[in-house]
Amino acid sequence: MSETRRPRRLGFALAAVTALSLVLAACGSDGESDSSAAEPTGIFADAPVADDAAIGEGTTMAEIKERGELVVAAALDAPLLSQQDPTNPDDVEGFDITLAKLLATYIIGEPNVKITPPASETREALLQNGTVDAVFNTYTITEERAEQVSFAGPYFMSGLAVAVPADEDEIGGIEDLDGRTVIVGANTPAVEAVPEEAPDADVISFATDPQAVQALLQGRGDAYVQDYLLLATNAASNPDLKIAGEPFTEEPYGIGLPPDDPEFKEFVNDWLLKIQEDGQWAQAFEDSIGTAVDSEAPTPPAIGSVPGS
Amino acid sequence: MSGSRGHELAHLYDHPGPAARRRVLVASVLSVLVLVAVLALALRELGQAGQLDADRWTPLLSADIASYLLVGLRGTLQAAAVVAVLSLPLGVLLAVARTSPHRLVRVPAVVFVELFRTVPVLLLIYVMLFALPSYGINPDVLWKLAIPLVLANSAAIAEIVRAGILSLPRGQTEAGLSLGMRRAQVVRAVVLPQSLRHVTPSLVSQLVSLLKDTSLGYVVAFTELLYRAQVLTSFNRLLIQTYVVVTLMYLVVNGSLSFLAARLRARSDTPVPPPALATTPGAAVVTAPAHEEVRHG
Amino acid sequence: MDALTQHGDLIAEALGTTLLIAVLSTVGALVIGVLVTVARISPVPVLRGAAFCYVQYFLNVPLLALLLLAVFALPDAGLVMPLTTTVVVVLGLYEGAYVAEAVRSGVNTVAPGEVEAARALGMGFSQVMRKIVVPQALRAVVQPLGNVLIALLMNTALAATVGVVELTSAANRINNVLAQPIAVYASVGVVYMAMALGLGLMASRVEKRVAILR
Repeated sequence: MSETRRPRRLGFALAAVTALSLVLAACGSDGESDSSAAEPTGIFADAPVADDAAIGEGTTMAEIKERGELVVAAALDAPLLSQQDPTNPDDVEGFDITLAKLLATYIIGEPNVKITPPASETREALLQNGTVDAVFNTYTITEERAEQVSFAGPYFMSGLAVAVPADEDEIGGIEDLDGRTVIVGANTPAVEAVPEEAPDADVISFATDPQAVQALLQGRGDAYVQDYLLLATNAASNPDLKIAGEPFTEEPYGIGLPPDDPEFKEFVNDWLLKIQEDGQWAQAFEDSIGTAVDSEAPTPPAIGSVPGS
Repeated sequence: MSGSRGHELAHLYDHPGPAARRRVLVASVLSVLVLVAVLALALRELGQAGQLDADRWTPLLSADIASYLLVGLRGTLQAAAVVAVLSLPLGVLLAVARTSPHRLVRVPAVVFVELFRTVPVLLLIYVMLFALPSYGINPDVLWKLAIPLVLANSAAIAEIVRAGILSLPRGQTEAGLSLGMRRAQVVRAVVLPQSLRHVTPSLVSQLVSLLKDTSLGYVVAFTELLYRAQVLTSFNRLLIQTYVVVTLMYLVVNGSLSFLAARLRARSDTPVPPPALATTPGAAVVTAPAHEEVRHG
Repeated sequence: MDALTQHGDLIAEALGTTLLIAVLSTVGALVIGVLVTVARISPVPVLRGAAFCYVQYFLNVPLLALLLLAVFALPDAGLVMPLTTTVVVVLGLYEGAYVAEAVRSGVNTVAPGEVEAARALGMGFSQVMRKIVVPQALRAVVQPLGNVLIALLMNTALAATVGVVELTSAANRINNVLAQPIAVYASVGVVYMAMALGLGLMASRVEKRVAILR
């Protein structure tokens, strides 16, 4: 009797697997998202566009222009920097991604950007094997990385900064932290940086960023020292928290580019200078990070000013 | 599964008389009270933190967000299908190789299975992410996720199928050989059909753990359910709500698969009366592999 | 192997963390697993239902999703524990369901006659459980339990994704410095294999010693 049953049961399992794979094959894949606008609007309407002379022939730029879209490695889950809007997955917004779209506009004339979210630490590989044209991903310029890839910029200077409860007025920056209780994230650069800058501060560490924020708001410390952009994100979503002063260490973010392509690097640096002069850089900042911090758009760092750039 | 349990384990306790029934009633009431108390405590904790407010849950019900997560679920199913379709034949092949009388065939299969059974999948994924690209091997994210999962799951499937093969009486193979069939024929026509049927429920259970494994797509930034959930939390900051909803989505999909496995198991168990199965020493060996496969989450 | 010796301290510490997580959650999972099994076969319907739900939930939801929930989301409700503790608790709860599955199949191997004999001697449910069913069930499933524990060991690696510096995460850190990925990951892989092999051998020896010959 079980002999007659066999085909049915095996057949059922097989049919289920086949059906599943057919359905899924029909679905197609979308690991990457396209964010393109039909008509350049807002910040992109008046953004600079390179002339043919600047693009040249047979260059990386010409290749991108021909293709009609700039392929970048950028996050989807970095609020204020590069955040996908789940209610409209084609819409990715933030400082990093706005700059990427401005670069696309400069090359192609339209802000056509294709995003490949990088898994941590694979960015060098993405550039080396040509998967992406550029990396806009809070990519800190280091000499070590500069041996493997090229960096344009720096385009933004982040670093450790101080956050305090919104009603705290006595702490204006790192210089006021001596003798205070300071919260830091375990295994972050702040663990070493705070005692250097404020030797009499009492340092307590928490494992994760949400825990540290909660500890600060519960009064378990007077201030929380963490990366400026991370603090800005927290401040944006949490009105009980604010940033006091400017970053006190230097974390230069650069645009990662394929190695050994000096033409492309020079081109991107020229563009960066243009958008700084024309005001798009400042506007991109105001529209994103600027919404979360009190201060005006800072002066952008000088291009080529850090080792590795 | 739940239906048959009372019957299957009925010998564990007497038919309750009036006193026993009273005791069961008291125990029931007590356990309900404890469960309710625990639940109430958890809800109170959540409520005090404002996590139960309606406006923290309703955003997840909007059509946009639902379809955002469903596309993630599609990615999960897609990855699971790719991994399943590749690791099933590979696993069967490994199992056959591992039971082969030829050393040259058996040893590589043993090495493969033992290697990928005892190295964490996450470590394999890190190898795909950080080691191979510097040697020029840099496949699409789907494959960065799928290849490690195929290696690990084919090893697990090989063990399940091998258990099925070993549970067949040796006489089956011997009869086939004495009829003049070649070994390959015996495997194809006698051994595999029977043993695969025997382990089908376990294979379905393995499908569940395989589907759970695809959540590692979170690490490689592959668009699957958990990765989308994480992007969503960075946007809406509703961490508890989003992750609760996502675990429930996994529960529904995998729960259906588990239910299927349980039904298949119940059907294949019915012809054999449980006491007979339970008292033979071999039974422990036969039932044992049945969990090995549930494993590996 | 060079990679290992150069960063001996970090490796030793990370190995310690991996072992700590593995041992503590193994103890938790075994206790939870047995208790849940007893609840699952108890005469109290409510307990049976609760145990069933428990097992189904943890069998069907990915460990990684549970870890993210516990580590990143629950602090929003005021539930903040040290990172390693959180991982131990989640892993213990998760693997407890698998232990329960294994032990329950062991219960099926206990001969009904023995239970009936015990009942005839006047033993109550808890006595039958403690003296007859659970000891024999455990002895019958040493090998499957060994497999659950090997999988638990493999799953400790997921702690790396929530920021615990255990063996897998240490491998990453060392690779960042040395840029010798194959050597680093292979060495750490060998360490995992050795531990799993040890567990497997232990399970075989224990099984030989306690196996019930009927």
